[in-house]
Amino acid sequence: MVKLAHSELIVLLLSISAMLIISRIFAELGKKLKLPVVMGELIVGIILGPTILGMLYPDVFNYLFPRTGNIPIALDGIFSLSVIMLLFVAGMEVQLSLVLKQGKVAVYTSMFSMVIPFFTGFAVAWFFPEIFSISNEPEPKLLFALFFGTALSISALPVIARILMDMNLFKTNIGMVIIASAMFNDLIGWLIFSFVLSLTNSSTHGEHLSLWYTIAYILGFGLFMLTIGKKIIDKTLPWMQSKLSWPGGVLSISLGICLLSAAFTESINIHAILGAFIAGIAFGDSVHLREQAREIIHQFVTNFFAPLFFVSIGLKVNFIENFNPLIVAIVLALAFIGKVLGATIGARLGGMSKNHALAVGFGMNARGAMEIILGTLALNAGLISKPIFVALVIMALVTSLTSGPLMKRFIDK
Amino acid sequence: MKINTLDKTLFSIFTCLNNFSVQMDLSKLKKRPSYPFETIAVAVSFSSRCEFLLAEAKRIADTCAANLILLHVGEKTSEKEQVLDKLIAKSGIDTNKSRLIWMEGEPVDTILQLCKLNIVDLLILGALEKENFLKFYIGSIARNISRRAKCSVLLFTHPSTKPQKFKKFIVNGVDNPKTIHTINTALYIAKHFKVNDVTIVNEVEVPGLAMTIAEDSTAPQTKEIKKNFEEESEEILQTIIEKCDVGNVSVSNKVLKGKPGYAISKYARDKSADLLIINSPDTNLNLFDRIFAHGIEYILADLPCNVLIVHSRV
Repeated sequence: MVKLAHSELIVLLLSISAMLIISRIFAELGKKLKLPVVMGELIVGIILGPTILGMLYPDVFNYLFPRTGNIPIALDGIFSLSVIMLLFVAGMEVQLSLVLKQGKVAVYTSMFSMVIPFFTGFAVAWFFPEIFSISNEPEPKLLFALFFGTALSISALPVIARILMDMNLFKTNIGMVIIASAMFNDLIGWLIFSFVLSLTNSSTHGEHLSLWYTIAYILGFGLFMLTIGKKIIDKTLPWMQSKLSWPGGVLSISLGICLLSAAFTESINIHAILGAFIAGIAFGDSVHLREQAREIIHQFVTNFFAPLFFVSIGLKVNFIENFNPLIVAIVLALAFIGKVLGATIGARLGGMSKNHALAVGFGMNARGAMEIILGTLALNAGLISKPIFVALVIMALVTSLTSGPLMKRFIDK
Repeated sequence: MKINTLDKTLFSIFTCLNNFSVQMDLSKLKKRPSYPFETIAVAVSFSSRCEFLLAEAKRIADTCAANLILLHVGEKTSEKEQVLDKLIAKSGIDTNKSRLIWMEGEPVDTILQLCKLNIVDLLILGALEKENFLKFYIGSIARNISRRAKCSVLLFTHPSTKPQKFKKFIVNGVDNPKTIHTINTALYIAKHFKVNDVTIVNEVEVPGLAMTIAEDSTAPQTKEIKKNFEEESEEILQTIIEKCDVGNVSVSNKVLKGKPGYAISKYARDKSADLLIINSPDTNLNLFDRIFAHGIEYILADLPCNVLIVHSRV
């Protein structure tokens, strides 16, 4: 078995501690300025990565984050685990019942806020691939168009929830419609994205998985986990919480189920993230999951894995070199138009007033961490180039920062 | 036995006049208050619990001074008639104050239609605490009626020939325009049955809260956020109760954390309540609502005690 050398272990521990401590400092500073935590973590990545540290002190950068040897492999394992955990906790907050409970308005809002941005993104990528330097060959063009549509249609539940809480709108009708619709968007978005990743994987590695086989596997797995899997978890959770050590028992079993599910989807050539996300939904939707257990899982993942993952983004990409103003402007314009228009039309059709529908539109526009995760996975899979990734990160930050103030304008009217 | 029986022929006439009569009755039903109970109907089957259910229906109709209608959906045979006559006699139902409607057809639709036509205020049904897996998802008669009824529905889980006195009511106090009517209906019953232990419950669940507070809230901030949500729920509950006709009934209130529907159901079971009183569903419920359960579906999946679903017709 290959082992980390003594010196490598020291460097690995140093790099992880640097990422955790500095990102926490920036997150706390950002909090004072009412900026999202993820922004602080990304800035730390940019500072520690090739953009600043790599340029100013290349020796220090290469010492902390070497590109050869065992350390990058170890870090890659940690980052992969981080994204799986992040998707698990994202799934834990998805309650499909909330969409059903909110009725017509939530169904229309979630549908339109998904369909319109998806087709806007798909159409632009399909008809103008040269803007994004994508080959005009049908296969890469289709995969990119599918990804780009999905990237524009996804929402970021954590950012949206925080905005609603700060605005004291969480438990209002508008708040619940936004939350329910964002949950639905997340579910469909990650299902489509897993499908796109599976197809990309097939074409990259020559493992030709038929289109229908992939769709059937994704839907079959989703249906199984959300019905039978959910029932099994629901039946065993009370036993786990009363008979096993508390809260350690639930923590290890829940994370174990997440990894098991992720391993299963990865083994059938669907990305591990889908397994983690669906396991999160099945687990988080259980009526028996105690609030304390839910909070502990969230605290652990959000404060350990999330900073590592978001800092790692800045380590991989040079944000200055890959900044393309045209791509950024197009991505931003499409993101705003598609999402705001789609969600507003949906909310209007669902019976909301014009101003409240617009507030829902701008509320749903926040992309935050979910968009960045999606972009990172696409970049790793070779689906997108670095300039497109940088544009997606900027779009995620701009939409998250502007969502609250723009919503407020229409709520107050 | 002098029982006013509507048979198949009469039903055919009703069916012919369906459009007209339903429209007429709907206009009568619209905005009709959920209480007092002037007309109570009980669905009669020939199960082993039928006798007990009739006894419970008689007690409620007598206490509320309501007319009682006995509904049976199925083929009318002389044997069944004899059995039913005996059951009616045994339960002591006054045949002068009651009617028997005997009808053929699909049970759920027929019962719902008859309730509309007869302007029934309360429909009494027997129900198992828990249906088997398949039956629950397909939908049993009692549960399907509960989901769709346009009148209040009382589900008896353990009817008895010697009905137990109602002692403890748990009533939902969620933030919904229907709630005030539900609480007033609960108080109306409490006054008639001299129930002095009525707890009105609001359930707090904030989806996404754990995720929101996880990354950037300090311990005091988290505590404060949770406290605010609870206080807000308490205030809502208090405002609703202030608008209700409490009278001499001793009413307490409680805010529960947990999924709406499940939390109140568990609370009613833990407190050994006699009757759980809830709002009727806001939307048409279907199979998806059972798979991704919420609200009333948690209660119908496993009835914690007798359940009254108040249809406020607002």
